[in-house]
Amino acid sequence: MPGRAAQLEAVASRVLRRLPPGVAGDVRVRAEGWTTMRFANGHVHQPHVEESRSISLRVAKEQRLGIATTTDTTSEGIARVVRDAVALASIAPVDRRVGPFPSDGRPRPVPYSRSTAALVPEAVGRLAERALDAAGAGDDGYRVSGAVHAGAQTLAVANTSGCLVSGVRTASQASVLVERPADDPPVSGWAEGSHWDAARLDTAGIGREALARMPRTAPKAAKPGAYRVLLGGAAAQEMVGFLGHLGFSGHGEEEGWSCLKSKRGTRFFPENLTLADDGRSPMGLPNAFDEEGTPKRRLALIDAGVVGPAVTDLVTAGHLGTPLTGHALPPESPFGEWGPVPTNMVLSSKDGASEEELAKILGNGLIVTRFHYVRIVHPARGVITGMTRDGTYRVRRGEVVEPVRNLRFTQSVLDALRATEAFGRTRHRFSDERGVQSVTCPALVTARFHFTSATVF
Amino acid sequence: MDDVVRAALRAAQASGIEYADVRVQSPQRYEALAVRNGEACALTASTGAGVGVRVRTELAWGFGTVAEVSVAAARTAARLAVRSARSAEGSCRRPIAVVPSRGPSNGRYASRVRKNPFDVDRSEKVELLRDAEKALHVGPEVKSGHASMQAWENVTRFASSEGVSYTSHIVHVGAGLDATAAAHGEVQRRSGPNSFGGDYGQAGYEFIERLGLPERAPLVGKEAVALLDAPACPTATTTVVLASDQLALQVHESVGHATELDRVLGSEAGFAGTSFLAPADRGSLQYGSEWMSIVADATEAGGLGTFGWDDEGCPAVRTTLVDRGRLAGFLTNRETAAALGLPRSGATARAGGYDRAPLIRMTNVDLAPGDHSFEELLEGVDDGVYFETNRSWSIDDKRLNFQFGTEVGRTIVHGELGPLVRNPIYAGMTPSFWGSLDAAGDASTWHLWGIPNCGKGQPIQAARVGHGAPAGRFRNVRVRGG
Repeated sequence: MPGRAAQLEAVASRVLRRLPPGVAGDVRVRAEGWTTMRFANGHVHQPHVEESRSISLRVAKEQRLGIATTTDTTSEGIARVVRDAVALASIAPVDRRVGPFPSDGRPRPVPYSRSTAALVPEAVGRLAERALDAAGAGDDGYRVSGAVHAGAQTLAVANTSGCLVSGVRTASQASVLVERPADDPPVSGWAEGSHWDAARLDTAGIGREALARMPRTAPKAAKPGAYRVLLGGAAAQEMVGFLGHLGFSGHGEEEGWSCLKSKRGTRFFPENLTLADDGRSPMGLPNAFDEEGTPKRRLALIDAGVVGPAVTDLVTAGHLGTPLTGHALPPESPFGEWGPVPTNMVLSSKDGASEEELAKILGNGLIVTRFHYVRIVHPARGVITGMTRDGTYRVRRGEVVEPVRNLRFTQSVLDALRATEAFGRTRHRFSDERGVQSVTCPALVTARFHFTSATVF
Repeated sequence: MDDVVRAALRAAQASGIEYADVRVQSPQRYEALAVRNGEACALTASTGAGVGVRVRTELAWGFGTVAEVSVAAARTAARLAVRSARSAEGSCRRPIAVVPSRGPSNGRYASRVRKNPFDVDRSEKVELLRDAEKALHVGPEVKSGHASMQAWENVTRFASSEGVSYTSHIVHVGAGLDATAAAHGEVQRRSGPNSFGGDYGQAGYEFIERLGLPERAPLVGKEAVALLDAPACPTATTTVVLASDQLALQVHESVGHATELDRVLGSEAGFAGTSFLAPADRGSLQYGSEWMSIVADATEAGGLGTFGWDDEGCPAVRTTLVDRGRLAGFLTNRETAAALGLPRSGATARAGGYDRAPLIRMTNVDLAPGDHSFEELLEGVDDGVYFETNRSWSIDDKRLNFQFGTEVGRTIVHGELGPLVRNPIYAGMTPSFWGSLDAAGDASTWHLWGIPNCGKGQPIQAARVGHGAPAGRFRNVRVRGG
């Protein structure tokens, strides 16, 4: 365990006690321990083990906000972080719309894995070796790459309104890429998975799946254009993830660039599409409360096709005049440009089909395993661009007939999800390497997806 | 810090490894000041410190880090590094080979700073941002204004088991502003002096003063508003002129990353991707036209990629990557240089902080200026499009098929810049695109930009890199409106 919750709560309380009279604040005290075993060319080449502690303090002085962070949790470090935050608040512009720090933080515990929190580097190394072996790392002509990450974060959040919460979050994530780089053109297959319990992260299964998804024949050229597309789980989660940022960011709502701002309360998506943000769901990577201590709860982002509200934190809730939804990121977060965003999305549908059934529903079109380097073209329209990667296939009359070379898409995520015709039965769990954000979603078939150019492999 | 460094090295060496290096950072300071719409803002001061230890056994690398500077933390970091290496060895079959770290093996490096940004009164800095942000609001269509500045200060003590030892004190700064305008269902954003939070350099607060944010702001706001009613960029295959800021990003994505030798050799395949280049292409592959000459220069004054030694103890060097259109070199570290049979490292092993292991990263990757003034670049265009300030960027995992969008486009008609067009996009394939470069702008169009957030590695780490670029003219490029 990277740190005992009670110890972190004590540090958080000490920080708040150091605040001068008339200054309110909220504080995060975090202890983390993470191991990464990164492999390439068939062996582990970049192992990484990390232990850290930090304090993040935000203070409010006469409706002026200041933020300071430190890795120094000693008395001197606490004195300095308080001094810095208060000094910044004293020169900050007044923000009259930000409300008081929330006081009703009583989150119920969520599951986490003690064994994952206690994983040693040797155990993570064995998880990586299983992935390598299963993916054929020793076979001639194959190149296997990927990574296994595992670890835990203990976080205590407290504020001067009386909130004091703490909890442990565990995460493990693995990805495997299998290539035949000498083929002309080179071919590759991919799989990934994550779980809050590393004991239930099947790295061998992920390795086998990556191997199975690699084309066995040379990909043929496909012409750019509009296609019916079956987005595999990894590709679908990219669409859902971008929808979360572009459509449900409280900051986007405030600035006017949210692609769903004008659609809230309307049935814009198919009736069988429901997307929730649910930090408590064990289907994702559970997290009991956000970085302001607000308890996580299920929030319907899309309810049977009807668009729900943007998510908020203290600042955006104040600016929008809407309730807190429990989506605060650390106030110093590098995601700050986005403001609060959904971090635990779970997509569900009434009727799920098997992979074979999805191919039949697709009829004629393309299967996309995953996307690469997806970036925003026009946020207010929800338009994004990126490349296919690691296994793109042509389907005719419901049968996979050949792999195709990679294509660039430029596509509105709204239109892609609005045109969804079917969902897969199996929901896949995806997350970043430390489980800060997760998306749980099935594969899906969309009726119209625009590819705007092609590459040569 | 010396006792901490010694403790880490001793602890690592006691475990029988072949090599160890230690980086102790103290302090690691960061300040981010931002003002939005005169009120909501994030004023942040961060202080960190810690130890990172990298070890090499015969077969494997290892890395351990602890966010604390003490003898105990140093020993813990060393122990974690050794355990991680031993854990990796089971999958490793070949001994690791590296080239020597040639050059001065000890000394000091310090950024040239006239005004340390951390010594400047914060009220003065916030006042500057408030003035600049206020000036963005040129009309009711400007729904959001944002002005920000950032500063980093890192003092690093490095020592290796091979006897290399140095101290570096590096200061980076940057600032910028942007306006978001909205009307009749259209939303447009305009930034200055660049997107990604502005422009950045290795310098003091004088760099931020020179940016003249309050003076720039009204034009940024006006262009955001003007874009709302601008026509969409035409769809055509035509001549384009890229402004220096956009050409710098083109260099970053389609040359900088493509020439990283770890990508070429497959080490990044599982995450960032590989490269269309092969080791044997050095000296033979025609990357672009004769106007294309590119260097990676870690000795360049003022760049975000400038340093005294890289993070594995190799002195900074200047390496030619592309010489008049021909691939001449790669970005290398000690291990990949050995794999390529080179005598020395290109000294591009850089870590995002004490808590990350060094990877091959860009330093200052610059496209050399040509001999055309900006007006002469335009004179050669009867009908084309001018692109300025990146808005979106995407490229495939071998760095071939790319698509870039910019905040601003302008038609070029008979050698003159025309009116604004909105949502301009251009796309292409890397070698053919660079082959169509038929004129590079002269020194008056060249600028050394700073990019503060280049992501790579697992766990992810951000590098601050520099890119010098002139304006450039490219023929037969596909363009359209997004």
